[in-house]
Amino acid sequence: MGNITNIVDIDSELAVQTPQEILQYALENHDNIAISFSGAEDVVLIDMAYKIRKDLQVFSLDTGRLHAETYRFIEQVRKHYNINIDVVYPEASRVEKLVKEKGLFSFYDGDHKECCGIRKIAPLRKQLLTVDAWITGQRRDQSPGTRAAVPVMQDDKAFARPDDKLTKFNPLANWTSKQVWDYIRANDVPYNELHDKGFISIGCEPCTRPTGPGQHEREGRWWWEEATLKECGLHAVNIQK
Amino acid sequence: MTVSTKLTMVKKIFADGSPCKKCGEVEEKMRDAGQLEQLDKIVIAYEADPESEGMQLAAQHSVDRAPFFIVERDGQDAEIYTVYFKFVKEVLNAKTSEDEELKEIMNDVDLDFL
Repeated sequence: MGNITNIVDIDSELAVQTPQEILQYALENHDNIAISFSGAEDVVLIDMAYKIRKDLQVFSLDTGRLHAETYRFIEQVRKHYNINIDVVYPEASRVEKLVKEKGLFSFYDGDHKECCGIRKIAPLRKQLLTVDAWITGQRRDQSPGTRAAVPVMQDDKAFARPDDKLTKFNPLANWTSKQVWDYIRANDVPYNELHDKGFISIGCEPCTRPTGPGQHEREGRWWWEEATLKECGLHAVNIQK
Repeated sequence: MTVSTKLTMVKKIFADGSPCKKCGEVEEKMRDAGQLEQLDKIVIAYEADPESEGMQLAAQHSVDRAPFFIVERDGQDAEIYTVYFKFVKEVLNAKTSEDEELKEIMNDVDLDFL
Protein backbone atom coordinates (compact mmCIF):
# COMPACT_ATOMS: atom_id res chain seq x y z
CA MET A 1 0.00 0.00 0.00
CA GLY A 2 2.90 2.28 0.80
CA ASN A 3 4.20 2.07 -2.72
CA ILE A 4 0.81 2.84 -4.25
CA THR A 5 0.45 5.88 -2.02
CA ASN A 6 3.92 6.98 -2.95
CA ILE A 7 3.22 6.78 -6.69
CA VAL A 8 -0.08 8.60 -6.32
CA ASP A 9 1.62 11.34 -4.27
CA ILE A 10 4.46 11.78 -6.74
CA ASP A 11 1.97 11.73 -9.63
CA SER A 12 0.06 14.56 -7.94
CA GLU A 13 3.24 16.59 -7.63
CA LEU A 14 4.36 15.90 -11.19
CA ALA A 15 0.90 16.51 -12.64
CA VAL A 16 1.35 20.27 -12.38
CA GLN A 17 4.82 20.24 -13.88
CA THR A 18 5.94 20.65 -17.46
CA PRO A 19 6.73 17.64 -19.67
CA GLN A 20 10.41 18.59 -19.45
CA GLU A 21 10.29 18.58 -15.65
CA ILE A 22 8.49 15.24 -15.63
CA LEU A 23 11.10 13.81 -18.00
CA GLN A 24 13.88 15.20 -15.84
CA TYR A 25 12.40 13.46 -12.80
CA ALA A 26 11.99 10.21 -14.71
CA LEU A 27 15.49 10.20 -16.16
CA GLU A 28 17.15 11.22 -12.90
CA ASN A 29 15.34 8.60 -10.85
CA HIS A 30 15.67 5.65 -13.21
CA ASP A 31 18.86 4.48 -14.90
CA ASN A 32 17.22 1.67 -16.79
CA ILE A 33 14.47 3.62 -18.48
CA ALA A 34 13.37 3.57 -22.13
CA ILE A 35 11.35 5.88 -24.35
CA SER A 36 8.72 4.23 -26.51
CA PHE A 37 8.77 6.00 -29.88
CA SER A 38 5.90 5.32 -32.25
CA GLY A 39 7.27 7.24 -35.19
CA ALA A 40 4.73 10.02 -34.81
CA GLU A 41 4.60 13.29 -32.87
CA ASP A 42 5.91 11.59 -29.75
CA VAL A 43 9.28 12.52 -31.24
CA VAL A 44 9.02 15.56 -28.94
CA LEU A 45 9.86 13.24 -26.04
CA ILE A 46 13.14 12.34 -27.68
CA ASP A 47 13.93 15.99 -28.32
CA MET A 48 13.14 16.97 -24.73
CA ALA A 49 14.94 13.99 -23.22
CA TYR A 50 18.01 14.48 -25.41
CA LYS A 51 18.40 17.95 -23.93
CA ILE A 52 18.52 16.35 -20.48
CA ARG A 53 20.59 13.26 -21.13
CA LYS A 54 22.37 12.02 -24.27
CA ASP A 55 22.52 8.30 -23.46
CA LEU A 56 18.86 7.62 -24.14
CA GLN A 57 17.31 4.21 -24.50
CA VAL A 58 14.69 4.44 -27.25
CA PHE A 59 12.72 1.65 -28.84
CA SER A 60 10.18 1.43 -31.66
CA LEU A 61 7.81 -1.40 -32.44
CA ASP A 62 8.08 -2.47 -36.05
CA THR A 63 4.86 -4.34 -36.70
CA GLY A 64 5.86 -5.04 -40.28
CA ARG A 65 2.88 -2.97 -41.43
CA LEU A 66 4.10 0.59 -40.92
CA HIS A 67 4.04 3.22 -43.66
CA ALA A 68 7.23 3.65 -45.68
CA GLU A 69 7.19 7.26 -44.44
CA THR A 70 7.34 6.05 -40.82
CA TYR A 71 10.35 3.81 -41.50
CA ARG A 72 12.09 6.75 -43.15
CA PHE A 73 11.19 8.97 -40.20
CA ILE A 74 12.54 6.55 -37.60
CA GLU A 75 15.81 6.50 -39.51
CA GLN A 76 15.79 10.29 -39.78
CA VAL A 77 15.36 10.62 -36.01
CA ARG A 78 18.13 8.12 -35.36
CA LYS A 79 20.55 10.18 -37.46
CA HIS A 80 19.32 13.59 -36.32
CA TYR A 81 19.96 12.87 -32.65
CA ASN A 82 22.73 10.35 -33.23
CA ILE A 83 21.01 7.88 -30.95
CA ASN A 84 20.42 4.17 -31.12
CA ILE A 85 16.80 3.26 -31.67
CA ASP A 86 16.10 -0.32 -30.74
CA VAL A 87 13.63 -1.52 -33.37
CA VAL A 88 11.75 -4.51 -32.03
CA TYR A 89 9.83 -7.07 -34.04
CA PRO A 90 7.01 -9.54 -33.52
CA GLU A 91 7.74 -13.22 -33.32
CA ALA A 92 7.78 -14.46 -36.92
CA SER A 93 6.10 -17.78 -36.14
CA ARG A 94 3.12 -16.06 -34.53
CA VAL A 95 2.68 -13.66 -37.44
CA GLU A 96 2.94 -16.56 -39.89
CA LYS A 97 0.32 -18.52 -37.99
CA LEU A 98 -2.07 -15.57 -37.92
CA VAL A 99 -1.66 -14.84 -41.63
CA LYS A 100 -1.95 -18.50 -42.59
CA GLU A 101 -5.14 -18.96 -40.60
CA LYS A 102 -6.82 -15.59 -41.12
CA GLY A 103 -5.10 -13.79 -43.96
CA LEU A 104 -3.28 -10.49 -44.14
CA PHE A 105 -6.25 -8.29 -43.31
CA SER A 106 -8.04 -10.25 -40.60
CA PHE A 107 -8.52 -7.10 -38.53
CA TYR A 108 -11.10 -5.77 -41.02
CA ASP A 109 -13.29 -8.82 -40.36
CA GLY A 110 -13.12 -8.78 -36.61
CA ASP A 111 -11.30 -6.26 -34.53
CA HIS A 112 -7.71 -5.16 -34.43
CA LYS A 113 -6.89 -6.69 -31.08
CA GLU A 114 -5.65 -10.08 -32.19
CA CYS A 115 -3.30 -8.61 -34.77
CA CYS A 116 -2.14 -5.84 -32.41
CA GLY A 117 -1.61 -8.44 -29.70
CA ILE A 118 0.81 -10.37 -31.89
CA ARG A 119 2.49 -7.54 -33.75
CA LYS A 120 2.67 -4.89 -31.01
CA ILE A 121 1.81 -6.04 -27.54
CA ALA A 122 3.84 -9.25 -27.38
CA PRO A 123 7.07 -7.54 -28.54
CA LEU A 124 6.31 -4.56 -26.30
CA ARG A 125 5.96 -6.86 -23.32
CA LYS A 126 9.23 -8.60 -24.14
CA GLN A 127 10.95 -5.23 -24.40
CA LEU A 128 9.49 -3.92 -21.16
CA LEU A 129 10.75 -6.96 -19.26
CA THR A 130 14.23 -5.49 -19.73
CA VAL A 131 13.60 -2.09 -18.12
CA ASP A 132 12.56 -0.59 -14.79
CA ALA A 133 10.58 2.28 -16.26
CA TRP A 134 9.28 3.49 -19.59
CA ILE A 135 8.16 6.75 -21.11
CA THR A 136 5.27 7.15 -23.53
CA GLY A 137 3.74 9.97 -25.53
CA GLN A 138 0.23 9.16 -24.32
CA ARG A 139 -1.99 12.21 -23.91
CA ARG A 140 -5.42 12.67 -22.43
CA ASP A 141 -6.77 14.37 -25.52
CA GLN A 142 -6.03 11.25 -27.59
CA SER A 143 -8.62 9.16 -25.73
CA PRO A 144 -11.97 10.88 -25.71
CA GLY A 145 -13.84 7.83 -24.43
CA THR A 146 -14.70 6.78 -20.95
CA ARG A 147 -11.21 6.08 -19.74
CA ALA A 148 -10.09 7.81 -16.59
CA ALA A 149 -7.56 10.59 -16.95
CA VAL A 150 -4.09 9.47 -17.99
CA PRO A 151 -1.75 10.08 -15.03
CA VAL A 152 1.74 11.45 -15.67
CA MET A 153 3.21 8.62 -13.62
CA GLN A 154 1.75 5.23 -12.87
CA ASP A 155 2.53 1.80 -11.56
CA ASP A 156 2.36 -0.35 -14.70
CA LYS A 157 0.99 -3.62 -13.39
CA ALA A 158 0.23 -5.15 -16.78
CA PHE A 159 3.81 -5.16 -18.07
CA ALA A 160 5.81 -5.45 -14.86
CA ARG A 161 8.15 -8.40 -14.40
CA PRO A 162 6.73 -11.05 -12.08
CA ASP A 163 6.87 -9.81 -8.49
CA ASP A 164 8.57 -6.62 -9.61
CA LYS A 165 7.65 -3.01 -10.34
CA LEU A 166 7.54 -1.13 -13.60
CA THR A 167 6.92 2.61 -13.64
CA LYS A 168 5.31 4.27 -16.62
CA PHE A 169 5.69 7.98 -17.30
CA ASN A 170 3.36 9.92 -19.58
CA PRO A 171 5.02 13.36 -19.61
CA LEU A 172 2.69 14.69 -22.33
CA ALA A 173 -0.48 13.57 -20.54
CA ASN A 174 -1.61 17.12 -19.87
CA TRP A 175 -0.55 18.57 -23.19
CA THR A 176 -2.84 19.07 -26.15
CA SER A 177 -2.05 18.24 -29.73
CA LYS A 178 -1.59 21.96 -30.35
CA GLN A 179 1.03 22.26 -27.60
CA VAL A 180 2.92 19.32 -29.07
CA TRP A 181 2.91 20.90 -32.52
CA ASP A 182 3.85 24.31 -31.18
CA TYR A 183 6.86 22.65 -29.58
CA ILE A 184 7.77 20.78 -32.77
CA ARG A 185 7.70 23.98 -34.82
CA ALA A 186 9.39 26.20 -32.23
CA ASN A 187 12.26 23.73 -31.80
CA ASP A 188 12.64 22.57 -35.41
CA VAL A 189 11.97 18.99 -34.38
CA PRO A 190 11.82 16.58 -37.33
CA TYR A 191 8.39 15.05 -37.89
CA ASN A 192 6.80 12.28 -39.90
CA GLU A 193 5.91 13.48 -43.41
CA LEU A 194 2.54 11.72 -43.09
CA HIS A 195 1.42 14.63 -40.90
CA ASP A 196 1.65 16.89 -43.95
CA LYS A 197 -0.63 14.45 -45.79
CA GLY A 198 -3.50 14.78 -43.33
CA PHE A 199 -2.60 12.08 -40.84
CA ILE A 200 -2.91 13.10 -37.21
CA SER A 201 -2.59 9.75 -35.46
CA ILE A 202 -0.15 7.36 -37.09
CA GLY A 203 -0.10 3.62 -36.65
CA CYS A 204 0.01 0.69 -39.05
CA GLU A 205 -0.71 1.47 -42.70
CA PRO A 206 -3.90 -0.62 -43.11
CA CYS A 207 -5.36 0.75 -39.86
CA THR A 208 -4.58 4.45 -40.26
CA ARG A 209 -6.14 7.04 -42.53
CA PRO A 210 -6.05 10.81 -42.86
CA THR A 211 -8.73 12.73 -41.01
CA GLY A 212 -10.81 15.64 -42.21
CA PRO A 213 -11.48 19.02 -40.62
CA GLY A 214 -13.21 18.72 -37.26
CA GLN A 215 -12.63 14.99 -36.95
CA HIS A 216 -10.98 13.66 -33.83
CA GLU A 217 -7.63 12.00 -34.42
CA ARG A 218 -9.01 8.68 -33.23
CA GLU A 219 -11.35 8.68 -36.22
CA GLY A 220 -8.29 8.01 -38.30
CA ARG A 221 -7.65 4.68 -36.56
CA TRP A 222 -9.71 1.47 -36.78
CA TRP A 223 -12.60 3.48 -38.22
CA TRP A 224 -14.54 0.35 -39.16
CA GLU A 225 -14.96 -0.62 -35.52
CA GLU A 226 -17.71 0.81 -33.40
CA ALA A 227 -16.56 2.65 -30.35
CA THR A 228 -17.33 0.37 -27.46
CA LEU A 229 -17.92 1.70 -24.03
CA LYS A 230 -15.63 0.36 -21.37
CA GLU A 231 -17.78 -0.92 -18.63
CA CYS A 232 -15.52 -2.10 -15.86
CA GLY A 233 -14.42 1.29 -14.58
CA LEU A 234 -14.60 2.10 -10.88
CA HIS A 235 -14.08 5.78 -11.34
CA ALA A 236 -13.32 7.94 -8.36
CA VAL A 237 -16.05 10.35 -9.43
CA ASN A 238 -18.55 7.62 -8.72
CA ILE A 239 -16.94 6.63 -5.48
CA GLN A 240 -16.86 10.17 -4.14
CA LYS A 241 -20.59 10.77 -4.63
CA MET B 1 5.64 -20.25 11.35
CA THR B 2 3.29 -19.99 8.38
CA VAL B 3 2.10 -16.64 7.13
CA SER B 4 -1.65 -16.36 6.97
CA THR B 5 -2.92 -14.99 3.65
CA LYS B 6 -6.34 -13.59 2.95
CA LEU B 7 -7.50 -13.30 -0.66
CA THR B 8 -10.36 -11.02 -1.61
CA MET B 9 -11.88 -10.49 -5.03
CA VAL B 10 -13.82 -7.30 -5.73
CA LYS B 11 -16.26 -7.44 -8.62
CA LYS B 12 -18.58 -4.84 -10.01
CA ILE B 13 -22.32 -5.24 -10.31
CA PHE B 14 -24.40 -2.91 -12.44
CA ALA B 15 -27.57 -1.30 -11.22
CA ASP B 16 -29.57 -3.96 -13.12
CA GLY B 17 -27.82 -6.73 -11.18
CA SER B 18 -25.57 -7.98 -13.97
CA PRO B 19 -21.81 -8.23 -13.49
CA CYS B 20 -19.41 -6.14 -15.57
CA LYS B 21 -18.25 -8.10 -18.60
CA LYS B 22 -14.72 -8.76 -17.43
CA CYS B 23 -15.87 -9.58 -13.90
CA GLY B 24 -18.21 -12.20 -15.35
CA GLU B 25 -15.51 -13.67 -17.58
CA VAL B 26 -12.94 -13.79 -14.80
CA GLU B 27 -15.35 -15.37 -12.34
CA GLU B 28 -16.32 -18.05 -14.87
CA LYS B 29 -12.70 -18.78 -15.64
CA MET B 30 -11.89 -19.07 -11.96
CA ARG B 31 -14.88 -21.30 -11.35
CA ASP B 32 -13.87 -23.62 -14.22
CA ALA B 33 -10.31 -23.78 -12.90
CA GLY B 34 -11.43 -24.40 -9.34
CA GLN B 35 -9.81 -21.15 -8.23
CA LEU B 36 -12.86 -19.56 -6.68
CA GLU B 37 -12.50 -21.89 -3.71
CA GLN B 38 -9.08 -20.42 -3.05
CA LEU B 39 -10.56 -17.00 -2.40
CA ASP B 40 -11.55 -16.09 1.13
CA LYS B 41 -14.08 -13.50 0.16
CA ILE B 42 -15.84 -12.00 -2.85
CA VAL B 43 -16.89 -8.41 -2.32
CA ILE B 44 -19.26 -6.53 -4.57
CA ALA B 45 -18.82 -2.99 -5.80
CA TYR B 46 -22.36 -1.90 -6.54
CA GLU B 47 -22.42 0.67 -9.28
CA ALA B 48 -25.46 2.27 -7.74
CA ASP B 49 -24.04 2.41 -4.23
CA PRO B 50 -20.79 4.28 -3.65
CA GLU B 51 -20.98 3.22 -0.01
CA SER B 52 -20.93 -0.48 -0.87
CA GLU B 53 -17.95 -2.39 0.49
CA GLY B 54 -16.43 -2.97 -2.95
CA MET B 55 -16.62 0.69 -3.95
CA GLN B 56 -15.08 1.66 -0.62
CA LEU B 57 -12.24 -0.83 -1.07
CA ALA B 58 -11.63 0.54 -4.58
CA ALA B 59 -11.36 4.04 -3.15
CA GLN B 60 -9.17 2.89 -0.27
CA HIS B 61 -6.72 1.17 -2.60
CA SER B 62 -6.93 3.74 -5.41
CA VAL B 63 -8.20 1.17 -7.90
CA ASP B 64 -10.27 2.25 -10.88
CA ARG B 65 -10.87 -1.08 -12.63
CA ALA B 66 -12.84 -4.18 -11.80
CA PRO B 67 -12.35 -6.92 -10.99
CA PHE B 68 -9.38 -6.60 -8.67
CA PHE B 69 -7.83 -8.75 -6.00
CA ILE B 70 -6.53 -7.87 -2.54
CA VAL B 71 -3.84 -10.05 -1.04
CA GLU B 72 -3.37 -9.54 2.69
CA ARG B 73 -0.52 -11.27 4.49
CA ASP B 74 0.18 -11.05 8.21
CA GLY B 75 2.26 -8.04 9.04
CA GLN B 76 2.55 -6.84 5.44
CA ASP B 77 0.94 -4.12 3.36
CA ALA B 78 -1.96 -5.34 1.25
CA GLU B 79 -1.03 -6.11 -2.35
CA ILE B 80 -3.45 -5.18 -5.11
CA TYR B 81 -3.76 -7.08 -8.37
CA THR B 82 -5.79 -5.52 -11.14
CA VAL B 83 -4.51 -7.93 -13.77
CA TYR B 84 -6.11 -11.35 -13.49
CA PHE B 85 -3.32 -13.37 -15.09
CA LYS B 86 -0.74 -11.83 -12.79
CA PHE B 87 -2.87 -12.68 -9.77
CA VAL B 88 -3.34 -16.32 -10.72
CA LYS B 89 0.31 -16.72 -11.71
CA GLU B 90 1.92 -14.93 -8.80
CA VAL B 91 -0.51 -15.68 -5.99
CA LEU B 92 -2.31 -18.88 -6.94
CA ASN B 93 0.72 -20.30 -8.78
CA ALA B 94 -1.46 -21.28 -11.71
CA LYS B 95 -0.43 -21.37 -15.36
CA THR B 96 -1.84 -19.06 -18.02
CA SER B 97 -1.22 -19.02 -21.76
CA GLU B 98 0.49 -16.12 -23.49
CA ASP B 99 -2.53 -15.70 -25.77
CA GLU B 100 -4.81 -15.27 -22.76
CA GLU B 101 -2.42 -12.80 -21.17
CA LEU B 102 -2.15 -10.72 -24.34
CA LYS B 103 -5.91 -10.75 -24.72
CA GLU B 104 -6.37 -9.45 -21.21
CA ILE B 105 -3.81 -6.71 -21.74
CA MET B 106 -5.43 -5.69 -25.04
CA ASN B 107 -8.87 -5.52 -23.46
CA ASP B 108 -7.75 -3.77 -20.33
CA VAL B 109 -4.99 -1.38 -21.12
CA ASP B 110 -5.29 1.62 -23.41
CA LEU B 111 -2.40 1.04 -25.80
CA ASP B 112 -3.92 2.70 -28.83
CA PHE B 113 -1.33 5.46 -28.60
CA LEU B 114 1.33 3.00 -29.78
